[in-house]
Amino acid sequence: MLMEIADTLRTKLDPRKTLNSLKGDADPGNSSTGNGTGYDSENDSDPELHEERTGNSDTVKSSRNGKVPLIKLTDVWKVYQMGEVEFAALKGVDLEIYEGEFVVVLGPSGSGKSTLMNLLGCLDIPSHGTVSLNSRDISRMDESELAQIRGQMIGFIFQSFNLIPTLNTLENVTLPLEFQEEESSRARERAEYLLEIVGLSDKHHNLPSQLSGGQRQRVAIARSLAVDPPVLLADEPTGNLDSKTGNYILEFLDELHRKEGKTVIIVTHDMTPVKYATRVVHIKDGEIEKIDEVEGNFCKL
Amino acid sequence: MRNATCVKMALNMLLHSKLRSWLTIIGIVIGVGAVVGIVSLGDAMEAQVQSRLSDLDLAKITISPGYSGAQSRMGGPPGHGGEEGRGGSSSTDTKLTDDDVDALQGIDGILYIDTQISGSEEVDYAGETATLFITGVDPQVWQYMNSLEVESGRLLEPADKNVAVIGNSISTEIFDQDIGVNQVITVNGKSVRVVGILEEEGGGEDKRIYMPIDSAVDLIEDAEEDVFDSIVVKVESEDLVNPTVEEIEEKLMVSRQIHQEKDRDFSVSSSLSLVESVTAMTSAMTLFLGAIAAVSLLVGAVGIANTMFTSVLEKTKEIGTMKAIGAKNRDILMIFIVNSAMVGFVGGIFGVMLGGFVSTLFPYLGVTLMKGGSGTVTGLSPDLMAFGLGLAVLIGVISGAVPAYRASKLKPVDALRYE
Repeated sequence: MLMEIADTLRTKLDPRKTLNSLKGDADPGNSSTGNGTGYDSENDSDPELHEERTGNSDTVKSSRNGKVPLIKLTDVWKVYQMGEVEFAALKGVDLEIYEGEFVVVLGPSGSGKSTLMNLLGCLDIPSHGTVSLNSRDISRMDESELAQIRGQMIGFIFQSFNLIPTLNTLENVTLPLEFQEEESSRARERAEYLLEIVGLSDKHHNLPSQLSGGQRQRVAIARSLAVDPPVLLADEPTGNLDSKTGNYILEFLDELHRKEGKTVIIVTHDMTPVKYATRVVHIKDGEIEKIDEVEGNFCKL
Repeated sequence: MRNATCVKMALNMLLHSKLRSWLTIIGIVIGVGAVVGIVSLGDAMEAQVQSRLSDLDLAKITISPGYSGAQSRMGGPPGHGGEEGRGGSSSTDTKLTDDDVDALQGIDGILYIDTQISGSEEVDYAGETATLFITGVDPQVWQYMNSLEVESGRLLEPADKNVAVIGNSISTEIFDQDIGVNQVITVNGKSVRVVGILEEEGGGEDKRIYMPIDSAVDLIEDAEEDVFDSIVVKVESEDLVNPTVEEIEEKLMVSRQIHQEKDRDFSVSSSLSLVESVTAMTSAMTLFLGAIAAVSLLVGAVGIANTMFTSVLEKTKEIGTMKAIGAKNRDILMIFIVNSAMVGFVGGIFGVMLGGFVSTLFPYLGVTLMKGGSGTVTGLSPDLMAFGLGLAVLIGVISGAVPAYRASKLKPVDALRYE
């Protein structure tokens, strides 16, 4: 168990990963984002990060030419026991997601896309088959290891925002860092910085109930970025928003993808996010129907 | 997760808890208040009993005529009751005589044997009359058997005749005119010279008159030569009291030719057994009341558990979210347990306050509960407060444990899907 955690950490410290930028942001005194521009959408003024992102795209390109995928699903089945009847939500799904991709998983309700999202987000383990994250099989991990991986690798964005109603904006954004035992002053700085990026600097002490839907989703995005995870996993992120706000959120995610090299996965039944995607995975009845490559969107610089 | 974070989250939950949670706390408030109040009541009673009994000479054994099972166990009320209470129908049937005194002579450990008679008689002084309790004692040994001290004058001496040592309040309160040493009072028409006035003792002791038994026989109605209302024995030490009591019982059974327990016509009681039984009684009472209080505490605990279960159910989605963003099972467990401990803590604070308030009411209650009730109760001891608080926190933790464990074991997928 300890060995495995150490392993996880080692994997996380792999230079290919963007973890160094996480450490950088969590620690303002450290290199890349100490100047506070790391997440500036106009970050051309930050050559270091620019370089890193370019590096990422290289990695992605080479990954696709035979390198290790970030998330790999091999013959994944998820079977639910519904009383006497067994119901397979996923039937032998194979999927590889590489670093730096913007993947949209598209499917109608009941298609198994939520189940797929749960597996991609390490929220659940498959009934059969393997899910590997950074070449590590998560299907054999226990709950606390999974929590560790989720907490460090994946930023969740939910349809209904899922902010903690009793915590104010700032506390909500700080929370993931607190679960990672980040020093509270640094966590606070990081959260303030992220709230500034999402344009909610003036709402630090508002409770979620005092914010509009769009604002709540921005807080949720800030929260998902708190530990600077390499993967952002969004479940119908625009489902509860009007189209204008929804588009703003999608553009924000697109910017995170393009400029920060984040791997973004959106699970939805809505066509709107497709235009930002590098790949669209169509899922139906628990199986992948087809995968569209959208070349034009891939790592546009 | 750091402890500080855990406390912060738990506190946040507590501060945002609904009215329902606060109502739950009332259960703990009452439970802790009752327990603290009752323990404090028990302490107060014990202190009071102790202070009353500390005056007693624990090395004394009293033998009196008549027997009932309860008397030998319980003895009489402290002080004068031991002798005064007898003299009813039982003593007219049976008598203690010189034979009984002889039977006692051979017992090891007995220092002195005092034979006593007593009765309430009319006492005249300076034109006033009062009915007072007169005890005839053996002047040879009486002064060695008691810790009584004179305020003025002297105690009884072997050669004394028709003299008396009187209690303090007889000297100063009963009659308009104070009685001094060497003044003469009239008992049933006979003159008795006062040779000593005792120091103030408190209670009934101050209204007693002691006389040599030979003179008292003439004054006290129904009294006969060589027939005693009680025989008081002093043993060498407290340790010898219980074995000596048994030995006395055996010897007297033999000398009085009693073969069966049911025919027994005398009682042997000691101050020690009195103290023991009174102490046992107060602690039994405290235990009993404490058990009732514990039941209310238990109900409070179940209330907390119930509320925690509801709370976990309500927060299922939040739990799922927290797990999704990296909370481990242990983190969730700790947040809920600490929250529950805090509920207990808050309940404990108010409970201790309630208990303190209740204990200030004891003196008013105590008038009937403990006769005299000299109001020794003053607030709660710090130990008791800490105990009350600790108990409340413990109950919070215990009743929160199962709900918290449930919360921690929720699968993130299921929890997130929960609406």
